Amino acid sequence: MTEALINVEQAAALLRDAVATGTPIAPLRDRVENPDAATAYAIQEANTRHWIGEGRRLVGRKIGATSKAVQNLLGLDQPDYGMLFADMAFGDGETIPVARVSQPKVEGEIAFYLRDDLDGDALTLADVMHAIEYAVAAIEIVGSRIADWNIKIVDTVADNASSGLYVLGSQPRPLTAFDPVLCGMVMSCRGEPISTGAGIACLGNPLVATLWLAKKMVEVGRPLKKGDTILSGALGPLAPVKGGDVVELRISGLGAVRCRFEEEA
Amino acid sequence: MTALHELALRVDEAARNATAIPQITDELPNLGIDDAYAIQALSIRRRLERGERRIGVKMGLTSRAKMIQVGVDEVIWGRLTDAMLLEEGASLSRARYVHPRAEPEVVYRMGRRLAGKVTALEAMAAVEGVAPAMEIIDSRYQAFRFALPDVIADNSSSSGLVIGSFVKPSFDLSNLGVVLSVDGMPRQIGSTAAILGNPVRSLVAAARMVAQWGESLEPGDIVMAGGITAAHALSIGEYVQTDIEGLGRVAITVGD
Repeated sequence: MTEALINVEQAAALLRDAVATGTPIAPLRDRVENPDAATAYAIQEANTRHWIGEGRRLVGRKIGATSKAVQNLLGLDQPDYGMLFADMAFGDGETIPVARVSQPKVEGEIAFYLRDDLDGDALTLADVMHAIEYAVAAIEIVGSRIADWNIKIVDTVADNASSGLYVLGSQPRPLTAFDPVLCGMVMSCRGEPISTGAGIACLGNPLVATLWLAKKMVEVGRPLKKGDTILSGALGPLAPVKGGDVVELRISGLGAVRCRFEEEA
Repeated sequence: MTALHELALRVDEAARNATAIPQITDELPNLGIDDAYAIQALSIRRRLERGERRIGVKMGLTSRAKMIQVGVDEVIWGRLTDAMLLEEGASLSRARYVHPRAEPEVVYRMGRRLAGKVTALEAMAAVEGVAPAMEIIDSRYQAFRFALPDVIADNSSSSGLVIGSFVKPSFDLSNLGVVLSVDGMPRQIGSTAAILGNPVRSLVAAARMVAQWGESLEPGDIVMAGGITAAHALSIGEYVQTDIEGLGRVAITVGD
């Protein structure tokens, strides 16, 4: 017996239920109509519209799958993206209500803040560099509403690129202050490095990843705007976290950012 | 004692002839760490008797991941000789090795003597320069399989070094980005923070460990601080390069 396939709206509703109840759902790729990237982004967009309608403020984007290893794992040949809402943002040193994120993991990234729109045809790296007001170190707390992180491209893209929360550093730096390609990255917990890497791990260059995003956003009709925050992609492997952990991220030239994960009740 | 000499001869010959040997611990499962270091010292003595010159030490198992993999909570060390030095930018002869792999590293050069229990401050004050480097590691054991005493006896897998230009260590070395590229494509990426959280800790450990064997780090000696990323297995024809943020670049080509 085969079960009836679900459509975009139904899949979007399942993901919202998973957020509301905190209970992950089975992968979508086997039960959604036309399980391809276009469908997955349509599911994501349905929820973006839903959330904006509910009053959430869209403040930027995250870029995911910026390493070959992750792309291979997900069955992708390019990165993916998800939406950042204001309620996902935390500040340096804050305590993170980790229960808000399903199956949380952390990654160390460079966040960019835009002083200009990135709209129009044929954007170049020069446009991206000019539009960036500053960079900060950022801890992204990713999560998955899909049980056991059993994800392929359709699952993660539909699920807002497995986004969760993020913590921005408090030492904004211009692009001239650091080397975005060779900057070292270390995330530690109790003094123990849990992830190490460098800028080049993000698609060879976090600015190139940001250019990819800017073009993609023009293409899909949600261009990047002045004041947007961009999480440009992981500089090293994901690391699991649990309640009680204090995680510190250092990126060479960008200072440090840390957060504490609230003990689970 | 004679047994240790025989084992030293065995690892020395394996390194000299680029032939793989079975693990010593297969034959002597109770071989201890002290005996393993004694075998290493004896095998290095054989090299020095052939006219090689000691140039410093290397540290190994400096990442938590590798310690867990091998099941230990202490770093290991080995001795370096001038015969291991490869010319920077030149070609490495693949045939001289059993299964060579390259690891990006940071290397210190000592300006002053250092030995025993020292602080990080004392250790850095004794350093004259720091450079990007690659270590060519090559286990003489079949299939790169070994227990801890095996790898110590085998001079901590050390076999070749490529060293770049030294700069004054006048900046923070604790989180420098590191990329090992092959034919221009990034293959291994990391940070110097992977070395015990800060590579100076490796230097402190080196001073302590050599002193346990009655040795010291002398002016002009180099200290290879330990691996930063997974090792890259070398194939003939590859152009292998390591870039370290703020330190520069070191490169080698793999020849026949």
